[in-house]
Amino acid sequence: MPLNLIVCLKQIPNPDLQFAIAPTGKDIKRETLNYKTNGSDEYALEEAVRIKEKHGGRVVALTMGPKRADSMLREALAKGADEAVRVSYEDVGGYDAGKTGRILAAAIKTLPHDLVLTGVQSDDLVNSATGALVAGLLGLAHVSVVTKVEVQGSGLEVWSELEGGLSRRYSVPLPALVSIQFGANVPRYAPLPAIMKATRQPIKEIAPAALGVPGWDAIATPYAFAIRKLSPPEAKGHATMISGSPEEQAKKLAQMLREKGFVRR
Amino acid sequence: MGKDILLLAEHFEGQLAPSTLEIVAKGRELAAQSGGVAKAALFGHDAGGLAQALAGYGLPVLLVDDASLSEYTGGGYGQAARALVESLAPRVVLAAHTSQGYDLAPGLAGAMDLPLASNCLDIRLEGDKLVATRRLLNEKVQGEFEISSEKPYIVTLRPGSTKRAEPAPGGQVTPMAVAIDPSQVREKFLGIERPQVSDIDIAAADVIVSAGRGIQKKENLAIIEEFAKILGGVVGASRPLTDMEWLPKTRQVGQSGKTVRPKLYIACGISGAMQHVAGMKDAGLIVAINMDPSAPIFEIAHVGIVGNLLQIVPLAVKELKG
Repeated sequence: MPLNLIVCLKQIPNPDLQFAIAPTGKDIKRETLNYKTNGSDEYALEEAVRIKEKHGGRVVALTMGPKRADSMLREALAKGADEAVRVSYEDVGGYDAGKTGRILAAAIKTLPHDLVLTGVQSDDLVNSATGALVAGLLGLAHVSVVTKVEVQGSGLEVWSELEGGLSRRYSVPLPALVSIQFGANVPRYAPLPAIMKATRQPIKEIAPAALGVPGWDAIATPYAFAIRKLSPPEAKGHATMISGSPEEQAKKLAQMLREKGFVRR
Repeated sequence: MGKDILLLAEHFEGQLAPSTLEIVAKGRELAAQSGGVAKAALFGHDAGGLAQALAGYGLPVLLVDDASLSEYTGGGYGQAARALVESLAPRVVLAAHTSQGYDLAPGLAGAMDLPLASNCLDIRLEGDKLVATRRLLNEKVQGEFEISSEKPYIVTLRPGSTKRAEPAPGGQVTPMAVAIDPSQVREKFLGIERPQVSDIDIAAADVIVSAGRGIQKKENLAIIEEFAKILGGVVGASRPLTDMEWLPKTRQVGQSGKTVRPKLYIACGISGAMQHVAGMKDAGLIVAINMDPSAPIFEIAHVGIVGNLLQIVPLAVKELKG
């Protein structure tokens, strides 16, 4: 049974970097950041492409963000997505997850979808909300934190990870939305010819007018949202830091472990 | 608009989730701010005993008992939560930010078109406004966000961010007549899957030396193994390593892996994401070695070393052998 698959991707600042707060206090400094595809979204994309390869269908890679996110979409095309769609949204921080969810849901409504896949969380905002929020808005059946998806007849069988390594197994009819957990599969690397080809593939842009609204503000939220301030976390740490050259650090560490009785000789 | 705080309790295999006692404590704080009452909602089947256990923490418990609620499903729990939110019109609906909370809370916010704040470290009401404190970007940035709405706020609280409620008198259970339409429970529960266990139990070890992405290559695990051996300990890992299958899933420390409380925990090249820290923060002595001085692991470590573990660990092993 060929499926219309939509995978929601987000381009995020590499979370391994160090961050400084912008003078406004309402965003991080962005001048020197580099961006990457959100971690769990890579697994969601791979899962979508594998389902397509096994059962047929089409994978649409969907994102919401500024022009720079096109590089991520081209990567997705090179890894097996058939079409790339960017909802052109210029709010670089995108801190209002409810707004994001509502715009994404409006965009998904205009695309054929049997199964929508998202990553379990974005590593920049860590809301773990977009998947189930979109499902709720669209009235789709939904399962979150999914580590395994099998197409069974006209539906799915999915494994949803719980705390402590246990899982709940569900069967779900289509259309549905699943949020994919880290480690669900092993994402592929894009082969070079596919990367070359993807540079020439079109990216469809969805502007507000395409969804029948004059601007994104016209997509109503049932609340007003404001960023009060961003700050470095309060240093509640009380770690005793061992400084010096690597040799000195190693020596002091060994000495401390001995003194505390952790060395058995 | 009501003033009450509705807490969505969580339970698994006949036990209340520890995070439920945390939202009870936080719910009471919020109720004091809103001038209402914190009430818990418990969904399940033959769950009277669980509801009584929860009432033992001194709060009203609204029990929705139905055959289609015996296990969590987005559709079943979603319907029950929706019915209570519609009839009680609470100021805040609070759930824990757990696997179940990820699914239930945003699903409810979407289905009912309600405001949502998730994975909050802290939450408070200022008049009609909800102020959420959250951590972003691998714990390196803290944000305060303000949401104002006439509608009930749906909130999830990060586990471990507040103390658990203590048992108290005065609670009682009220069964609620809520009709769950089984045809609208589209997700059908099939069963619980448990990991195959054929490995050591790291939770039983006194000393754990854990490796994270900072070890760079699978071959470098040998360095960690040698370090663990000389300390009479075992090797643990953060999630990325078990996802890449460098170590079996049984070695994973964290929310989705094992919770451990060894006497000594050495985190090598582990940044300290919430997911990992939740599983090891109660270790007796925590030593962290990481290149990034802003890594959140240093917030909970007792002893910290900023440096390259691939250099420092072999040197330390040499010292200990010498």
